[in-house]
Amino acid sequence: MDETRRTALNAWLSQAAGAAVEIGGASLLSGGAIQQNWALSVTRGGGAEEWVLRTDNAATLAVSLSRSEEYALLRAVFAAGVTVPEPLFCCDDATIIGAPFFVMRRVAGTATAFRLAKQAAAMGGNAELVRHAGREMARIHSIAPPRGDLAFLGTPPADAGIEFIRAMRERLDAAGTPRPVLEWGLSALERNLLPPLPPVLCHNDFRTGNLMVQGHAITAVLDWEFAAWGDPHADLGWLCAPCWRFGNLALEAGGLGPRAPLLEGYGPGADPARLPFWELAGTIRWAVIAADQGARHLSGQERGLELALTAHIIPELELDILRQVEALGAGSA
Amino acid sequence: MLEAPDATDLLATAREALLEKLLPALPPALHYEARMAANAIAIASRATAADPAPAEARLRTLAGDAATFAARIRAGEFRPGMPRHAEAAALLAEMTRLRCSVSAPRALRGT
Repeated sequence: MDETRRTALNAWLSQAAGAAVEIGGASLLSGGAIQQNWALSVTRGGGAEEWVLRTDNAATLAVSLSRSEEYALLRAVFAAGVTVPEPLFCCDDATIIGAPFFVMRRVAGTATAFRLAKQAAAMGGNAELVRHAGREMARIHSIAPPRGDLAFLGTPPADAGIEFIRAMRERLDAAGTPRPVLEWGLSALERNLLPPLPPVLCHNDFRTGNLMVQGHAITAVLDWEFAAWGDPHADLGWLCAPCWRFGNLALEAGGLGPRAPLLEGYGPGADPARLPFWELAGTIRWAVIAADQGARHLSGQERGLELALTAHIIPELELDILRQVEALGAGSA
Repeated sequence: MLEAPDATDLLATAREALLEKLLPALPPALHYEARMAANAIAIASRATAADPAPAEARLRTLAGDAATFAARIRAGEFRPGMPRHAEAAALLAEMTRLRCSVSAPRALRGT
């Protein structure tokens, strides 16, 4: 961040905070393909605070939420008691630092899924952490439409299961690669549709890699880009899908612990009978995302090893899908 | 006609050099990329050994090609209790095992 932008940011923050803000240090935490996160060490009215500034990279994709929408989501879930960094200020004016941004409080902890799963496996499952994850999810799902502040999420689907099948088929058609196993999975979902539930706010990427953890406590639920109205079991199923267990197959909840403490932490409202449907849906969804990532490499849009190898995850997911279809069929027969 | 060592041998030798000689000399920030490169070589080498012909022949007999098979599944054919459900399930399992033998052989352990 150059001197001109820093001065402009300083002035804007002081006005937004209604107190003199001095930026003592600014360092780039992570630069993803789409967003940048800056660590800001500031004083506000003389007191030291640690903040994170989140902004767009120059080449922004239209698919993800805008920064101001992400800020609105953070405010909504923070108010609902979800453990997220406290959102502080949002700036839609792209002239201050070159792109819109928002500022949140910085939280302690690390988001390293592999290490978490390894630690959990060594202790035979971390029930405490998984219970906490269940509580966080229940708080997210306490938010229900209509919500004027979340109008950008659009109209909730009348039936989240039917909508899921439709959306996946549309993406498969757009990608153009025939995938009989994914069709097999979607057809099984169609045969096993559940009565729809009233829609709630779903995180839609609630997995171990998006949990910031310190000790046995979740210090932040990260990455709200895919949030949408849907069936709460979509989040439970995504976390419990076999592909997110890091080899700890018996620890169904994200490779961290068994399903039981997750559901216990979640409390009333979680119906275990709906999980097989949404776990299969989760596996199919990850396969469709992986296919799209591989296609970005194949099309030459963004060539690279990571995207190329992501496509090679699909056969293993297909193996999971065939097993899950069989289990779903056995359960419903 | 072609000179030996063949593709499989060259890929295996290149992978060994990458993991045993190059990787330890690389700064830690590049280890992930180097491991991905080794993984890509391993997949490519298994792909040269895979033989999709038997599964493709069975696919032709049952449904034509993969696109037709996918479309017919979506249209509701091959459901449980319908003719050729078991054949379709067996073919999908065979195709998936072949695909895993190249992309993720560890996933086939214990199956």
